[in-house]
Amino acid sequence: MSTNQKQLLELSINGESYELAVACQETLLEVLRNRLGLTGTKEGCGTGECGSCTVLLEGEPVLACLLLALDCENKQIETIEGQSLEGRMTPVQEAFLEKGAVQCGFCTPGMVMASTALLKRNPDPNEEDIMESLEGHLCRCTGYNKIMESVQHAAKSYPEKS
Amino acid sequence: MGDLDYVGKRILRKDGPEKVTGKAIYSVDIQLRGKLVGRILRSPHAHARILNIDTRRALQVPGVKSIITAKDTLGIKHGFVETPRYPADQYPLAMDKVRFVGEEVAAVAATDRYAADEALDLIEVEYEVLPAVFDPEEAMLSGAPEIHPTHPKVNEGLSNIGGKTTSVWGDVEAGFKEADYIREDRFESHLRTHGYLEPQATVASFESDGKLNVWTSSQGPFIKRAKLAKTLGLPQSSVRVKKAYVGGAFGGKIDLFSHEFCAALLSMKTSRPVEIIATREEIFTAYRHGQPLIVTVKTGVKKDGTIVAQQLKTINNSGAYRGSGVVVIFLAWGFTMAPYRVPNLKYDGYSVYTNNPIRTPQRGHGAPQLRFAVESQLDMIAEELGLDPMEIRLKNARESGEMLPNGDNVHNCGLKDCLLDIAKHTDFKNKFGSKQGKSGRFRKGIGVGVSSYFGGSLIYPNSSSVLVKMNDDGSVTLLTGAMDIGQGAETILSQIVAEELKIPMEEIQVVAADTETTPVDIGSWISGNAYVCGNAARVAAGDVREKLKALAARELEADTRDLVVKDKRVHVKGSPDRSLSYAHLVALSIQKHRGDPIIGNGHWRTMRDEPTHPSLASTKGRWTENYAFDAQTAEVEVDTETGKVKLLKAVTAHDCGFPINPMLVEGQIDGQISMALGHAFLEEVMMEEGRTLNPSWLDYRMPSIRDMANSEYIDIITEKYRIGKPYRTKEVGEGYVSAILAAIANAIYDAVGVRLFSTPFTPEKILRGLGKIK
Repeated sequence: MSTNQKQLLELSINGESYELAVACQETLLEVLRNRLGLTGTKEGCGTGECGSCTVLLEGEPVLACLLLALDCENKQIETIEGQSLEGRMTPVQEAFLEKGAVQCGFCTPGMVMASTALLKRNPDPNEEDIMESLEGHLCRCTGYNKIMESVQHAAKSYPEKS
Repeated sequence: MGDLDYVGKRILRKDGPEKVTGKAIYSVDIQLRGKLVGRILRSPHAHARILNIDTRRALQVPGVKSIITAKDTLGIKHGFVETPRYPADQYPLAMDKVRFVGEEVAAVAATDRYAADEALDLIEVEYEVLPAVFDPEEAMLSGAPEIHPTHPKVNEGLSNIGGKTTSVWGDVEAGFKEADYIREDRFESHLRTHGYLEPQATVASFESDGKLNVWTSSQGPFIKRAKLAKTLGLPQSSVRVKKAYVGGAFGGKIDLFSHEFCAALLSMKTSRPVEIIATREEIFTAYRHGQPLIVTVKTGVKKDGTIVAQQLKTINNSGAYRGSGVVVIFLAWGFTMAPYRVPNLKYDGYSVYTNNPIRTPQRGHGAPQLRFAVESQLDMIAEELGLDPMEIRLKNARESGEMLPNGDNVHNCGLKDCLLDIAKHTDFKNKFGSKQGKSGRFRKGIGVGVSSYFGGSLIYPNSSSVLVKMNDDGSVTLLTGAMDIGQGAETILSQIVAEELKIPMEEIQVVAADTETTPVDIGSWISGNAYVCGNAARVAAGDVREKLKALAARELEADTRDLVVKDKRVHVKGSPDRSLSYAHLVALSIQKHRGDPIIGNGHWRTMRDEPTHPSLASTKGRWTENYAFDAQTAEVEVDTETGKVKLLKAVTAHDCGFPINPMLVEGQIDGQISMALGHAFLEEVMMEEGRTLNPSWLDYRMPSIRDMANSEYIDIITEKYRIGKPYRTKEVGEGYVSAILAAIANAIYDAVGVRLFSTPFTPEKILRGLGKIK
């Protein structure tokens, strides 16, 4: 049944503020993709199983398909679109490119966001740390080998380290 | 002719920057004003007659704009295969009967998905349920419920036969008489699915000028255009399939799907854009999965392991319509005859209709199932004869220049080198059969498998054409119909153009996969991109180069044979001061050749002298000049308490011809090892009476990063890339998902002595083999 009751909501996404009326059942993913045109965040399953829709909420990776937009008020949201502002890629994005971690690219935004959060929290992760951060992210193309390599490579050049 | 600067190098993907920044637009991302949401009503029954469909209540739901059923269609059938022997057998929307759970019965377009879903609930369909059959061997029995009439040319008293492939090479009876040892075994494989991350998705927009624009997650736009135009009754000129990135396909997005037809027809009815995105649950329950095969293989050998005769029978469960069933039984013959010399070979493949969802190619399209059978049996034979697994394979492996039963020449074949190198690399001789690691709870084993895969065989649209346009500044634009599904099509085609013209990758703009603006392309299946489209790109760029040289020759008063291209300039060999830039030459061409801006044109077709594709019924007719070979080893550890198997190491020795981009080749191999690992241990679509019991990624477990395999590669390069010369670079996208499966099974046997005759290799089967459970 359509729900017409909407609530005014202010969202802070990639440092910009958006005001819009959303229905109580609308997920953050729907708002990002369908209302704001931020289609970089992908929906692979809509049920929290693939990790493609991962964004950062207050710096922590979350599944935007399982999060109601109304619960995100007054919280800082970061999406893939906010990662390469001014045309400069982050070390994680550069590593994914250079090490061949991208094939079809559909899981890539989610992987990049989760890896970015990991490296902020832990600039020197071991293989187990990387697995723990990315085990909820499905990739069907790469077998994960080059994704693992990319995160390890990005860690080496991560700014917080130097 | 000079050194190679671009091909054979680890060059970064053309589409990489767009993909890592989230800017790449996929079909699911197409945003159009006024877009409606489409949803599909599916059959709850595996087999039923449709008596009546009543949409009146559904149409009254606020926001609902249109509802279509078969009555709104032209009733034109389509099929994965459409030939005189195998005519199309499926309506885009069920007409009089439904034949599987999930078959499309009606479609709704509404302003939002809540309204669309509500309308689906209110469509009333009256069914008369019919008896159904799900197991292919039961469906074949005479007297089984009839899903479709048996193929008129298969007169064996069987039911539900969608098609049959028969092939005979040599005299198999005489061959078996010559044999010192014969054995016959039966192998079964299970149902898996592609697991592409981007769901099936289509946006269709019927414009006021009568043009239907379509964005759809696919493996090539031209087959979609042809099938949409046919089923909608539109001329091809009215249908434009436009490019969007594709979030994985693996064989699952090739031919026409009902949602594509419905999005288009709903857009035509409403004059608004319509989007249909399948839910993951729909994909698991109603979309097309891979192709399990039942393989019976009888092999006769001499004492020294030489194969003298082989007889195979395969049975495919094609689901409720033919799908690619008649293709997989044809291809399975190819996967049998290619790697080893088999002087006498008889093959019968049956494709059988059942009341299951339709089946379609999945990466390897029958090769994993077939090689699992043949390679497992070969190890059993080797053991009986006291031969080493490498030895028996080397004895029978094909060599360069050999002629295959279908008349194809394997040309350059690196299979023996693959085997020799992988044996050395893994220390196979010392590890296999060794007592070390064979005691205690955790036991180690090693196994090997072999496979061959062919690329670019004739199938609609059969060929690729490429245009390369020079721009005023000497940069180029590459126009190709090729669809980059993640394999890197745009990147390798650009590398080839870069090489032929000695122009930096950054100065190549790619326009791709648009039926209106790009030339025709064979499509990203049948493993033909690098070979067919790649050669077309090479010819097109070469055409440009020769035009540039001809102009320069006149201008510089030199012979074209003395000219070389480098750094976007044409130079006279040995005279550093005599050269002209591409930009200058383009201007000159426009000035002197009545405005000719220099456009290169190239095209390529496999088996260019063959009128048509080989016979699916008899396998007669040439296939391709492009056979890749590989040997793969698996090292495993078996936990004898739990029956769990761990893949410790996978090594792939591959002859993919010439690797145009080694980084992409590695990525393809890693992905295939991972998919094979899922095949062996993790993945199974569980179906009961045509209903999927595990329609989510929680219950259908694909490999995660925790299942990452230790994957190593050995390159056996058998091709050279020479500028201006044709090459026979082979495929790398599908061939390496097969031998590894057999290698794992053989390694399990080496570890614990348990021979597996069916996939997946579950702890239960291992424990049963160990006698620990009944």
